[in-house]
Amino acid sequence: MKDAIIIGSGIAGMACAVKLAEEGVQVVLVSPFPSERSQSVMAAGGINAVLADCEPGDSVECHIKDTMDGGCGIAGKEAVAGLCENAEEIIRYLEKIGTVFSVDEDGHPARRAFGGQSFKRTCYCGSATGKQIVSALVMEVRRLEGAGMIRRRLWSCFHSALIKDGVCYGALLFDETTGKIEAEYADALVMAVGGQNALFGKTTGSTQCDGYAAGRLFRQGVDLKNLEFIQYHPTTLETAQKKMLVSEAVRGEGGRLFYLENGKRVYFMEEKYGPRGNLMTRDVVSREIEATGKDVFLDISFLGAREIGRRIPEVRDLCRKYRGIDITREPIPVSPSVHFFMGGIAVRLNHETNIENLFAVGECASIYHGANRLGGNSLLAALYGGRVAASVIAERPSPAGKRPDFTALTDAENEKLRNLRASKSPFPVMYIRDMAAETMNRELGIVRDEESLMRGLTDMDYYLSIAERIAYDSSVMMYANYSLTGILTLARATLTSALARRESRGSHFRKDYPAANESMAYGSVISFDNGKYRVWLDREKFYES
Amino acid sequence: MKVKIQRQQSPVSEPYWETFDADVPGDMSIAGLIDHLNYRDDILDENGRKTTRIGWECSCLQGICGSCAMVINEVPALACETFVKDLKGDEITIRPLRKFPVIHDLLVDRSVIHENLKKMNIFIREYQPEDQGRASRKEREHSLQYTAAKCLKCGLCLEVCPNYTNGKNFFGAIFANDCYLVASRNRSKAENIREAYGEHFGRGCSKAFSCMDVCPMEIPTIASMARMNRK
Repeated sequence: MKDAIIIGSGIAGMACAVKLAEEGVQVVLVSPFPSERSQSVMAAGGINAVLADCEPGDSVECHIKDTMDGGCGIAGKEAVAGLCENAEEIIRYLEKIGTVFSVDEDGHPARRAFGGQSFKRTCYCGSATGKQIVSALVMEVRRLEGAGMIRRRLWSCFHSALIKDGVCYGALLFDETTGKIEAEYADALVMAVGGQNALFGKTTGSTQCDGYAAGRLFRQGVDLKNLEFIQYHPTTLETAQKKMLVSEAVRGEGGRLFYLENGKRVYFMEEKYGPRGNLMTRDVVSREIEATGKDVFLDISFLGAREIGRRIPEVRDLCRKYRGIDITREPIPVSPSVHFFMGGIAVRLNHETNIENLFAVGECASIYHGANRLGGNSLLAALYGGRVAASVIAERPSPAGKRPDFTALTDAENEKLRNLRASKSPFPVMYIRDMAAETMNRELGIVRDEESLMRGLTDMDYYLSIAERIAYDSSVMMYANYSLTGILTLARATLTSALARRESRGSHFRKDYPAANESMAYGSVISFDNGKYRVWLDREKFYES
Repeated sequence: MKVKIQRQQSPVSEPYWETFDADVPGDMSIAGLIDHLNYRDDILDENGRKTTRIGWECSCLQGICGSCAMVINEVPALACETFVKDLKGDEITIRPLRKFPVIHDLLVDRSVIHENLKKMNIFIREYQPEDQGRASRKEREHSLQYTAAKCLKCGLCLEVCPNYTNGKNFFGAIFANDCYLVASRNRSKAENIREAYGEHFGRGCSKAFSCMDVCPMEIPTIASMARMNRK
């Protein structure tokens, strides 16, 4: 193919852009803000890879098994195998472009242990792995921009895909500087827009990742998958504006979870699961914290100031800076928070959606993590997925014949924006978003049941019914105004998917169906059929081929 | 408490000041304060007049993305990690970075940063480190490269710099640190990079080092400069 548009300039988008450009494909890289603002910079922990000098006994097969087990058997085996088999090459690539990895005495990437994995295989860059990879990739994108192969389009937001008869021809973009929607045509469109944090308001992630694109594409006929699987991180620190991640390393270093009862500490994880109870997986710890119904704390003070400074300085600094808590003397108040979305746009092995020439990569795509994700696998998936999509696009011939003309559609969408600007009603857009987030947190929490999900659906249907007649709010970006319906659509699709999965698996826990049901051990796909949300299990494994 | 904010409705309109009343706890960040002002039924100025919501940019809200760089009580800083309790007096003034074109209120266009780095071919491409000899030096250099690569491209260092004006010729500390990062990680590019460094930073820097006072990542620009000045 000759050209491609990539929406989103975080790690997945940049990895795809660089590979495409190197293969001779012209790229337009679209994001309202530069890559340094992307959520990718927040990824702290690391990136998994079984390297030639791995721990004795470790193997790529073992990485595959750990990933499959983490995903509770519903991730596609072939996809996961590709991910793990190519991990070493990806690390070598990152080294080559100058990523500042933490290294051992010989200058090789050092590795740390991560939850759910049988061996130490997580390469890392201090506590800023995502940021360091972003810095290295930005330089590569810069190089290819200079060579005329990549054009960055800043201040532009995704509006919708240009789709006709099941084929994608590009995207409509809203340009904040001109205030207009414009058509950008290309042989392929790649979505790299990140997870859907805004559905839940305050999360550990970026405020920029909102799920609009997935919601909008769903209404345009794109299948979504595994939306009910949402990873909660058990230990986050709440501030007025967000929930900040308190790294798993604190528990790894011996941190103990407790609540107070009659002034006495109850170490509930140790009481239930034994001395290693605090190290249970993220979903188990999150559910146990929620089940206490009390304020829970994480204590690491016994390690002493010196060791804390040596082993987890970033956690110490974060707690001090944002909450004035001295973790060398006092426990950290923690609560679980939405952290990662295993579900998203359904893609096949080649990262293409059910619409021809429309691809998705990174957290917005659902493919590698099944019902739960292992730490260190998301950065790997972002890089690997971006590169897979790029190879497929570069090898495919450009579509034959003339591109359809979407001028009439562009004009119609601009007309809709004009009407939106003139709209009057008592509902400002950000209020509805806040109310929808409240609903999602209340009804689609760590523990769900049919009753709560039905209540959530009733709320969401109401918000959707008023979404088209919101008051235009000139003081937020236009994007915030027109994105509301897409975001609410995704929220509704998520509730519907969670309702349909009448079992508990991985991060999806149903109080009314607390056990796994092997007849449901498949990915769940949701399709938009003539205004209806239809959930189906991928028994034929269409999305695993 | 009074909060005075410099407003500007569009890139071509005139800036003006507007004052708000706010009663917020001391441990609230300036990012939190702006949200607090914005998310009420109506946003009212100190005289109770209805006004427009305040435009600004945020993403991570924990000091690692550089979105919310602005000038708070005349100090360039990230709004998400500046707290009300740490500010003196009972009035807070907030204005956009002045060395970049304003898009809307506190939102500015910082693309010149990336454009200058692009123009000067500041990229590593192939990791070929110089031989650093002793283990202790290796470790020190590695740590410096790690810190330099954490640059947020937020522009705070340029706002405070007495030498940086509009990025036409002098490119500021951001450029110096990226030059060091590239030169140290690809020795074959070091010579060319040194030339660009001299022309667009070395010869124009008056060594006030105010850039280091405001850098959220605490990048020691002086150390990058020392490396770049070695032959």
